[in-house]
Amino acid sequence: MSVYLLFDVGSTYTKGVLVDITKEKIVATASSMTTAETDIRFGIESIKSQMGEILEQVNITKTLVCSSAKGGLTMISVGLIPDLTLKAATLACYSAGAKVIGSYSFELNQHEIEEIETSNCDILLLCGGTNGGNSTVVVNNAKRIASIRRKFPIIYAGNKSCQDQVNEILNNAGFECTFCDNVMPSYGVLEVNECRNRIREIFLDHIIKAKGLSSLSTLIEEIILPTPYSVMEALKLLAKGTLNERGLGDLMAIDIGGATTDVYSMNSTVVIADHVDFKGLQEPLEKRSVEGDLGVRFNAKHVLALKKNETEITVEFNRYISQFAADRYIVPNPVFDQLLAKWCCEIAAVRHAGRIDSVFTPLGVSYCQQGKDLRDVKIMIGIGGPILYSSHPEEILEKALYSDFKKEILLPHKTDYYLDKHYVISCLGLLASRHPDEVLRILKKNVEKLNNDQR
Amino acid sequence: MTKTTVVIGVIGADVHAVGNRIIAYALEKAGFDVVNLGVMVTQKEFAEAAIETNAKAIVISSLYGHGELDCRGIGDYFNEAGLKDVLLYIGGNLVVGKADFDSVEEKFKKMGFDRVYPPGSDIEQGINDLTADLESRK
Repeated sequence: MSVYLLFDVGSTYTKGVLVDITKEKIVATASSMTTAETDIRFGIESIKSQMGEILEQVNITKTLVCSSAKGGLTMISVGLIPDLTLKAATLACYSAGAKVIGSYSFELNQHEIEEIETSNCDILLLCGGTNGGNSTVVVNNAKRIASIRRKFPIIYAGNKSCQDQVNEILNNAGFECTFCDNVMPSYGVLEVNECRNRIREIFLDHIIKAKGLSSLSTLIEEIILPTPYSVMEALKLLAKGTLNERGLGDLMAIDIGGATTDVYSMNSTVVIADHVDFKGLQEPLEKRSVEGDLGVRFNAKHVLALKKNETEITVEFNRYISQFAADRYIVPNPVFDQLLAKWCCEIAAVRHAGRIDSVFTPLGVSYCQQGKDLRDVKIMIGIGGPILYSSHPEEILEKALYSDFKKEILLPHKTDYYLDKHYVISCLGLLASRHPDEVLRILKKNVEKLNNDQR
Repeated sequence: MTKTTVVIGVIGADVHAVGNRIIAYALEKAGFDVVNLGVMVTQKEFAEAAIETNAKAIVISSLYGHGELDCRGIGDYFNEAGLKDVLLYIGGNLVVGKADFDSVEEKFKKMGFDRVYPPGSDIEQGINDLTADLESRK
């Protein structure tokens, strides 16, 4: 029998899931409110005591944790052209579950170096140039970075031709520098997988220790993933399936939180419609985007500013928002929260999806596509408190659909809605590589489809 | 020996793809590393691709007669983007109507092009010129 106790720590609620892989069922779930200030141990202990008797009856094979504690995994991406290698680098950070706190293009200047120096980034991803392409900029950037006194791990994923030079510069300056395949080996081609794995390795080796999370080791055996990485793993499995078990197919997921909104899209192929010319960087089939300015609590003010022309914004609404600034834990107002969640969902989805622009030429109208075409996606999954606690989650999720008012945005036309009601996605992602078949079946059972009468 | 990178594409709102494929094929056969941006390429896309791939030449095509408008200011822009040393070629139906080619060539050279080719030019000639120009810059 293999029973796992899984935790997701670091967000507003610490979540715990007790799962029996042999019987393929969730034995118990629990959550406990935690704050950034409280010790993570507190949340874990509280969940254990909630599960109380059940825990005593089972023999736990392993306890695993995904963590977004202490700011999660924060990264800085450095590239050459903003729309090319810098974008590739940033997408690589996102797909590894990181929060990108700074992105820099072209040659770095002293001011930017100071910004990096004073930032609290955990890892810096240095890119620039296709293989055999530009090397002057990235080498100069390495020299500049070498002058930074604060040391942090650096991953180099740029032009392979100057890898040794970059290595020497950074090593001599006392930085720990690791390498992986170029995130953009040739023009427009994106390769994030090796980079993603390397980020995860460094997260395990360095970051956990640096954030003082290793003290948790008395409670659990392994901390293995940044939370968004774990979510990615679970969604990938749910979409793709395994050799023995079919997945659900292409899907999108929206995770609205207090401070950020994450959007995930999992596709099996690159879709480019007939008679459409593709421009720019080919985005990853498994894409995650993070909107650091969209959230229903800490970023509510920001969301309101973006939507300032909406008639729903009343004096009362404004007062509600400003109360958050003084007290984060005031009694929530479901009507206002619903509106905020809708807007977060809408803006984040538009930023995530690709777009198609019509160009008027002497030969008639032509079409250019950038980014991902998600119009045929049939599944939309809601994750995170604001969606799950809403009395009408479908109203929030439908904001991520294609609309006649923004025809150029390639969002899904019509989808079924699913909810991660029991908060199992982030935790089960931890087991996705160990027990894929079982985890997939458990996910299918526990990620609930919204009934038609509810819609 | 590493191959020399050349960025090619059809500028503006022009969607003539056949010539573009032929140029890509011929350049590859001649031993160049070709970054083909395809049709409807903007000045910005040409510049960005050339910077990122460290290209030594940019070869632009235009067949629909609006090349002059599309290329306006291109030399200055590429200089600004740090591409002063990159060879800049153009060929095709560059202007509408039957203009005298010498005046067309002069106009485009003023814009910053190193070589300008009239309709019906032989691609081999272009490749020979490119090889010679690259050699003389070494």
